[in-house]
Amino acid sequence: MSETMFYILLSLKQERHGYAIMQHVKELTKGRTILGAGTVYSSLGKLESDGLVEKIREEKRRIIYIITPLGAQILHEEADRIAELYNNVKELL
Amino acid sequence: MSDRKIVFFSIFRHLLPSDYENWLERMAAEGWHIDRIRQWDSVFMTFQRGKPKNYRFVYDLQFSPRQEYIATYQQFGWEHLGRMASAHIWRMEYEGERPQAFSDQEGLVDRNRRNLIAVSVSFFIFLAAVIAIGLALGFAFDSLSAGDRTQLIIAGIFFGMILFALGYIMVLMWKNLMR
Repeated sequence: MSETMFYILLSLKQERHGYAIMQHVKELTKGRTILGAGTVYSSLGKLESDGLVEKIREEKRRIIYIITPLGAQILHEEADRIAELYNNVKELL
Repeated sequence: MSDRKIVFFSIFRHLLPSDYENWLERMAAEGWHIDRIRQWDSVFMTFQRGKPKNYRFVYDLQFSPRQEYIATYQQFGWEHLGRMASAHIWRMEYEGERPQAFSDQEGLVDRNRRNLIAVSVSFFIFLAAVIAIGLALGFAFDSLSAGDRTQLIIAGIFFGMILFALGYIMVLMWKNLMR
């Protein structure tokens, strides 16, 4: 899973629209990762078609998304993989 | 000096989406602006003279965008200028860091791949036409009148040239999927 997809899934543990996802990821990464509109739009489309996120409502032309149970499972598996990676390299840090 | 500049066949002069974006950006930096993109702007595009500005443009081909497509870009501060067929043109004024609509390589490659698919569809339509003409000439040559043969040969050459051009564009797009 790409870093972009991981952060979008992570952001959607709480319901958010596209722009709020970008702001949340920017905050999480202390400004290192600023997602673009095209990237957020296309990533949400892919995640939704894979059943990892779903639309819950529309607010002022903004579509609000949230992670699905399948998305949460995939997110945790990915987090475990990253944790293992971290544990294996932490002595280098 | 004229306050208007017309550019013909702009879409065929800048074949890659990134080249098209950069060309629009250079025009804006020289003070040539277009505030509304319409269907026929790929054939002739009219720019108005104004103050030079730093605009970042985005060329985004979307065959059937989802409901939130326009709103998503607008929330990020992009201005929708319009579209030529399925190609949406966006712009954003900036100072300092140049804004990006595709912040990761995957999104950029996807955007470029959609353009490649669009050209590929045209390529295969013309390929089918050239094959059909070739078969007609090969199997029914004797039964065709001289006039019909000439017309088919001319059509075959014409379609073949378009096919060659589309093939060239496909290769160019394939080699530049990452930019």
